[in-house]
Amino acid sequence: MSPAVNPAAMRASDAKGHRWSFPRVCGSRVATMRRVAGALVLALLCVGSVAAAATRGPYVPSADDVVLEHLPSTSDARVRRFTSLKRIAAAKPGDVAGVVALANSYLDYGRDTGDARYLGRAQAVIAPAMRRRPAPVDVLLVQATILQSRHQFDESRQMLNDILARDRDNMQAWLTLSSVALVQGDLAGAQRACAHLIGSADALVTAGCIGSRATVAGDATTALHLIDTLLAQEPNEPPAIQSWAHGLLADASRYLGKNTRADAEFKRALALAPGDNFLLADYADFLLDRGREREALDLVKAYSQSDTSFLRQVLAESALGLPIARADTAAMASRFSDLEQRGDSRLYGREEARFALHLQHDAARSLRLAQANWRIQRAPEDMRIYLEAALAAGQPAAAQPVVDFVRRTGFEDPIVHALAAQVTRAISMPVTAGRQAP
Amino acid sequence: MKWWLLVLLAVASSAAAHKESDAYLTLATDASTPKLLHGQFDVALRDIAFVMDVDANHDSALTWGEVKSSRARIERYVLDAITVRGDGLACDIRPTGQAIASHNDGAYDVILFDAVCDKAIPSRVTIDYRLFKDVDPYHRGIITVHAGERVAGAVLGPKTSSAALDLRAIDYWSQFKSFVVDGVWHIWTGPDHLLFILSLLLPAVLYRRTATPTSLVSGVGLQLSGGARWMPVPKLSGAMVELVKVISGFTLSHSLTLTLSVLGYVDLPSRLVESGIALSIIIAALNNVYPSVTRRAWVIAFAFGLIHGLGFASALAGLSLPPAAMATSLGGFTLGVELGQESIVLPFLPLAFLVRRTRFYQTGIVRWGSVAIIAIAGLWLVQRAFDIVVPGAALLTPG
Repeated sequence: MSPAVNPAAMRASDAKGHRWSFPRVCGSRVATMRRVAGALVLALLCVGSVAAAATRGPYVPSADDVVLEHLPSTSDARVRRFTSLKRIAAAKPGDVAGVVALANSYLDYGRDTGDARYLGRAQAVIAPAMRRRPAPVDVLLVQATILQSRHQFDESRQMLNDILARDRDNMQAWLTLSSVALVQGDLAGAQRACAHLIGSADALVTAGCIGSRATVAGDATTALHLIDTLLAQEPNEPPAIQSWAHGLLADASRYLGKNTRADAEFKRALALAPGDNFLLADYADFLLDRGREREALDLVKAYSQSDTSFLRQVLAESALGLPIARADTAAMASRFSDLEQRGDSRLYGREEARFALHLQHDAARSLRLAQANWRIQRAPEDMRIYLEAALAAGQPAAAQPVVDFVRRTGFEDPIVHALAAQVTRAISMPVTAGRQAP
Repeated sequence: MKWWLLVLLAVASSAAAHKESDAYLTLATDASTPKLLHGQFDVALRDIAFVMDVDANHDSALTWGEVKSSRARIERYVLDAITVRGDGLACDIRPTGQAIASHNDGAYDVILFDAVCDKAIPSRVTIDYRLFKDVDPYHRGIITVHAGERVAGAVLGPKTSSAALDLRAIDYWSQFKSFVVDGVWHIWTGPDHLLFILSLLLPAVLYRRTATPTSLVSGVGLQLSGGARWMPVPKLSGAMVELVKVISGFTLSHSLTLTLSVLGYVDLPSRLVESGIALSIIIAALNNVYPSVTRRAWVIAFAFGLIHGLGFASALAGLSLPPAAMATSLGGFTLGVELGQESIVLPFLPLAFLVRRTRFYQTGIVRWGSVAIIAIAGLWLVQRAFDIVVPGAALLTPG
């Protein structure tokens, strides 16, 4: 059997007359490359992505027992759970509780493993119930969570407000609303939403809600005390909740400069939720910021399938000057171009801006990405990359919206504050601007 | 378990770890076999395993042997989800091989196939894509078509499930011609536009003369019908001039609204437009039975042409082309509509001129013909405005 489509022939033609959107990106990258070798790697990469984005193939495996893919394991309790829920939902297709339970089991599994495919699978499960008028509140909640996970924050918020208009005491809706508000940089909205939990929801969760907002609003001490106290009072919380609380403690400690405490909290959180995609990313960033690249690399290297972990891995490799960094940078670029190809690049604006700045050393592109991301997300991480990119690009004035936003809203991230001050100085001293980049 | 507490954790600030499901569909023309497209469809093994049981020994490790033994099932599922078609072109999809490809997010099954078409591949092919439509609305098909040096592409999913891809540079001349033909047929096969033109045409070889000339309000062209009667026009050329004015007025106004509507500047509900067209026919025909506007008939033609133009636009609904191609298409269609009209008007006029003096023409054709037109258009109006199905009217219903 020989492949009917000859990939080599395709590549030859791709280099010239394609009409895709990514050649534009490829072209601009190549144009800014200084080293011929680097340009060559990128050019090959771009061409490869046009030809069906395969990194290898098509090929015929050498033997029947070659393992091609590891599927969700049936020995995994979470997999067994959604498998049985799938059977139940299939038996009673109109049953809202069954549909919601299945959709949530997909979302949980997708979040734990970082496999975004489960977002779409959950969406398909709730699709028939979403067509009902009015759609059941529990189904709308699942929809709002999916929208939020796909960074459609305004749509998610709209849906949560619709839910709350129908069901004022929906604690989950308030909780999700507070998170969406926080990631959009709306501290007041997050506070209002958290306030609704007091007395009605689980005390530790309420403390977590209030604490996560307090930390970024400059009151990390309160957050630390609050979560500490309730964690001690409620030792029987499920591990996932405890892990989340320890992650928040790590964050608050980091804000207060208590690095040893933060380190210990990250470790405790990860022990309770091994491999958690978000914790890995946060902890790795913490380590990278403190020059502990080797530890960061050891932390994430087993999870290179995850784009967020892989970005930290490549950042660590690059900082350590490892030879593999170049190939992995190309691999990361290829992943971003996959996302762009399917039209989902906005999902990873923050990550791609970091990638462009720190690994591709293309500050202008990083700034463009950070600006686009700023329209979607306004968490401290988004402020940071925007400010860094503007300084590195020698366009400090471009970051004025962030400086104004921080001043107006009262975000108190120490790194963001230092960068914002640097931007303000650079704007007032235009001659030295551009040399202040870190 | 308080599940809602867990959802909170999804709320962390970062996106999911890697991208959602994609599949890569690549088609290539074959220089030696013009009716053939070679295809390669890369579908993630993880996605296939979600919809069918391919892990035969259930050990969660999917082997090449297991994928090979599921080949027929996979091919049926995956190839059923795509259609390759074109303008009058139908293609049969036949699997030709199986392989594996590694993509950034894992191993993909490569389904190789041929699209065997009933004609030579035209300059534009349309791909319909339905893969995983019911199990993952965020799945995307990344389509790439190679035709010699040219590469065209699209990203398809449940919301945009087909794409028409140009395999050659747009041939403006043949596109223009095809739209001219469309325009002609639109007139010939659209009884409502025909009847409207006919209503304006019938009295073109006649003119009104009042029994009492004093009642004529000079220069205004409006007069009461009492006591007036049809008179044959003395010369064909006079009739011709009148007719040219009428047809020009109609063309001018319908071209205007057709363009505005296709470009999206005007958008009226089709029920309103279709009812308006029926009403315009009634009024035009009524004017032949009880003449009130007997001069400057082109004014009626112009006014009602505005609404007919919106009707023509429905024939081009969904046309979305780059500006140059759009201009070509619109221009061709308008010219076609014009030619369609002329092909009716030009033979009609001399014939009518010959028989214009007869009672048969003046009463039989003009009066009773118009009455018949009013009846038909009245039926349409009732149907369209009130959405009522009139028994037996289907024969007379345009479209």
